[in-house]
Amino acid sequence: MKVKRRAIKLLTKTTIFYLIFTFLVFFISAIILSKTADRFIESNVEKRFNKYQRRLERHFKANPDLRHLPPTIKIKLIGDSLAKNFKPVIKDTLIYNENIDDYMHYRKKITAINLGNRNYRVEFLARVEDYYNLRDDFLAALIPVFFVLALGVIIFNYFLSGFLFKPFNQILNVMKTYKVGQGTPLPKIDTNTSEFVKMQELFHLMMNQIENDYRHLKEYTENMAHEMQTPLAVIRNKIENLIADERVMSEHSAAVKAIYNEVNHLSRLGNALNLLTRIQNGEFDKAEIIKTKQIIEQHLQSVRELAELKGLKIRSELSAEHQMVIDPYLLDIILKNLLRNALHYGDSAGPIIVKTTADKLSVSNYGAPLKFPREMLFKRFFKQKDNKESLGLGLALVKQICDLNGLKIEYRYHEGQHTFEVFPEEPQKSDAAN
Amino acid sequence: MKLLLVEDNRTLAADLKQFLTENDFLVETAETFSEAREKIGLYQYDLIILDLGLPDGNGLNLIPIIKERAFECGILIVTARDSVEDKVKGLDLGADDYITKPFHKAELNARVRSLLRRKKFNGGNELSFNEIRVDLYSAQAFVHDKPIALTRKEYDLLLYFLYNRNRVLTKESIAEHLWGDHIDQQDRFDFIYNHIKNLRKKLMNAGGKNYIRAMYGMGYKFTDR
Repeated sequence: MKVKRRAIKLLTKTTIFYLIFTFLVFFISAIILSKTADRFIESNVEKRFNKYQRRLERHFKANPDLRHLPPTIKIKLIGDSLAKNFKPVIKDTLIYNENIDDYMHYRKKITAINLGNRNYRVEFLARVEDYYNLRDDFLAALIPVFFVLALGVIIFNYFLSGFLFKPFNQILNVMKTYKVGQGTPLPKIDTNTSEFVKMQELFHLMMNQIENDYRHLKEYTENMAHEMQTPLAVIRNKIENLIADERVMSEHSAAVKAIYNEVNHLSRLGNALNLLTRIQNGEFDKAEIIKTKQIIEQHLQSVRELAELKGLKIRSELSAEHQMVIDPYLLDIILKNLLRNALHYGDSAGPIIVKTTADKLSVSNYGAPLKFPREMLFKRFFKQKDNKESLGLGLALVKQICDLNGLKIEYRYHEGQHTFEVFPEEPQKSDAAN
Repeated sequence: MKLLLVEDNRTLAADLKQFLTENDFLVETAETFSEAREKIGLYQYDLIILDLGLPDGNGLNLIPIIKERAFECGILIVTARDSVEDKVKGLDLGADDYITKPFHKAELNARVRSLLRRKKFNGGNELSFNEIRVDLYSAQAFVHDKPIALTRKEYDLLLYFLYNRNRVLTKESIAEHLWGDHIDQQDRFDFIYNHIKNLRKKLMNAGGKNYIRAMYGMGYKFTDR
């Protein structure tokens, strides 16, 4: 099984590493702290034992009676041989304390001393309970401190990310929303973080390059489409002269016809490409609110007879409410292309239906289902194999217009009916308030 | 009839000049804005065919000059396709009609003739060809002085033929004249045949002769020769 790597935010990552590092630091300092405390306790208790011993010796000189000694010292007479080989022992022990009804930590030192030429086994006791408590409290305090620090780091980083990464996110946003070929300048995000500055510079450099390439390509297409029009017009006129010439036609009609058709095709191609670039350039920007009913009726009026010649009927259900916010010329192109498409592909199984509701325009015609994936429908220069005369630009043109005017076009096929629907991308604001 | 053709492309201008001359017009050409302005100042024209895209100025600016010098002169502007604004501005300034590039010569001929008729006869006039007569004012066609019922497009087609008699009209040209952009060029124009057939039948049923001749599968010619 392939392991899918989950993307983690940079700041989350650094936070995790920082926390691991902090934890290690705390762990090591806890060890050092505990060792230091132990050494401190050791030396302190040792000093105390020595003090006890000196006091015992002083006491013995003043008063050799060893019966009344403090409870921290126990003494016992031992033999020489035992004293000679006596190894001092230091050990911790728990002693029951009546006052608090609990055991307490004591340290015990057992050693042999010589007092007045007699050997004694002496047991000194020192209470270390408080030392131990102090040490443990210190160590225990490290844990909440660690958690407080960790929490602090997390919260701090969280807010820091908003602050530090703001320019980064802004740059990302610019990258996401920037559209090539719109002629809008690249917004510059103000930052002095060197990584982001570098990233932004690189992004701008890249965009300029792309923008340049795009412009060249577009200019090329534009020039091509424009410059070929006049020669094509001349060629076409000359061919029309030939067509008028009976002698030429009686011998070369097939050739003349082929040339004529191809020239017309080229000329239309140039026109369509021109139109497409001009739409992309946003040259048709006189958007206005248009009540479509009358306009659609005019279009239908112009094509009704054409439809009849092809054995097709056109039915319309037009809503007086339907309106679009668009340049009138672009609306014209949308209507022409959708109608043209319906007229071309429609078959006589049923009428072409042009319908508008309050917010939708739909044009549908009957016909066999598509022989190609529907995604191809709006692609430029896509055409069915058996249809070589088609430019393959009509629906692409409509799509382009829709994209640039906040409109959506949808296609569907249902029970032998192809339907194109055009409607606003976002639902129109209700005018009910007026 | 004297025409001035303002067009900066020399080949195209020569070609159109030849075509218009063959159609019994007296044609002069101007290649630039200044040349056109000069000629407008010096001579009288019945009609000016004005391409708006001139190398040394916008043809639109010539319209007021023409209107000032010779108010009666017809103006037909030639615009690039999709130049909606130019078209609207031109008509506002006083142009009589427009034609978009590229156009068929037959289309130009029909526009020029219809424009001249409108100008010279103030709307009410007739076009006739043997037994066929068309009253342009009432948009009614007659055969042997009997009115015949034509659909709108049939009437347009008949007019197009009458303006371009004895000339081959290609199917493309007919389709474009009648339906403009509504025509899908991928259609192969088979429906034109039906259209021609209907018109021919109506004319002949009323006692007219068959003047519409198919030409090599490319188009039709309206002729009595």
